[in-house]
Amino acid sequence: MIIQLKKFGVTLTSRQLGKEALSAFKPSLAGAGEAEIIEVDFDGVNTFSPSWGDEFLTPLVKKYGDRFILKWSDNPSVISTLKLLEEVNKYRLNII
Amino acid sequence: MQNKELITINQTSQILGVSIDTLRRWDKSGKLPAIRLKISGHRYYDRNLLAELMPRLDIYKLVLKWASGKTAVEPLTDFYCPNSSIFQARLSRFETELIKSGVLQDKFSLLTSVTGEIGNNAYDHNLGNWPDIPGVFFIYNINNRQVAIADRGQGVLTTLKKVRPDLINDQDALKMAFTEIISGRAPESRGNGLKFVRRIVIDNKYDLLFKSGQAELRINKKSNGLSIVKAKIPINGCLALIKF
Repeated sequence: MIIQLKKFGVTLTSRQLGKEALSAFKPSLAGAGEAEIIEVDFDGVNTFSPSWGDEFLTPLVKKYGDRFILKWSDNPSVISTLKLLEEVNKYRLNII
Repeated sequence: MQNKELITINQTSQILGVSIDTLRRWDKSGKLPAIRLKISGHRYYDRNLLAELMPRLDIYKLVLKWASGKTAVEPLTDFYCPNSSIFQARLSRFETELIKSGVLQDKFSLLTSVTGEIGNNAYDHNLGNWPDIPGVFFIYNINNRQVAIADRGQGVLTTLKKVRPDLINDQDALKMAFTEIISGRAPESRGNGLKFVRRIVIDNKYDLLFKSGQAELRINKKSNGLSIVKAKIPINGCLALIKF
């Protein structure tokens, strides 16, 4: 399953909206198979921030572990945000 | 004239944080022309003209006067975000204007992200607890490479005390907010956005001035990392000025 973040907007910065986005997407996630890879695609996102990212990505990292993959992005705000989230939450993100 | 939204000289003085004498001088010099109604002869100001002028003034002074004022006055609607949805919309516009201007090239996303973190913090930490006016004053001038955000909320110390009750002053609270990773997040969902702000500001050689309570934090070439001093003008909420 590929989650295209641009479907939630191109300026992803608020904690509240990150939480709402995950909540809205949960029914779609429920349809994923037991071994299915969950992949996040940042293509088309202009701005990404730690608040939005923490609310949306961190619960998914915890739930899906190694099955949760992030597609590499050259967007500076994506790169900086993911680095901070790894430090703050003490986890490693699978970025490919 | 019929399409102009007129504001009295007193309201204009409050919005701009300048005296009525200054407004009279600006009228004379043409910096901010007043409109005189035939009947009364009193000076009025065109709201749109005011909105055009404000970003060209000293935006730090504007937000500081607003944030430190004893009386709460609503900023001009063009720069006032009473709730997070309006802030989000204005942030998107800021992002679009940054992209169009090309001044930061592909790094526009970092400044938008930092501005978003600072602005959204105000709503996350003051929801239901605004002492007077809710929301933030958000103003920028891309040509002058400056963005300012201020709120009249509870400030960093009050909100951080919920997770660190041992904190006793504003300076320590600012230091913690900008440098320490806070892992115990209950009882409130406090993030680590200001650590992100610090990192981006340092890496990209922006200048940051951040005020809250009696404390003032600076990150710039002269500060050698991060400097926190007692503020000459205290504010209850938070204020940030970024020069990029």
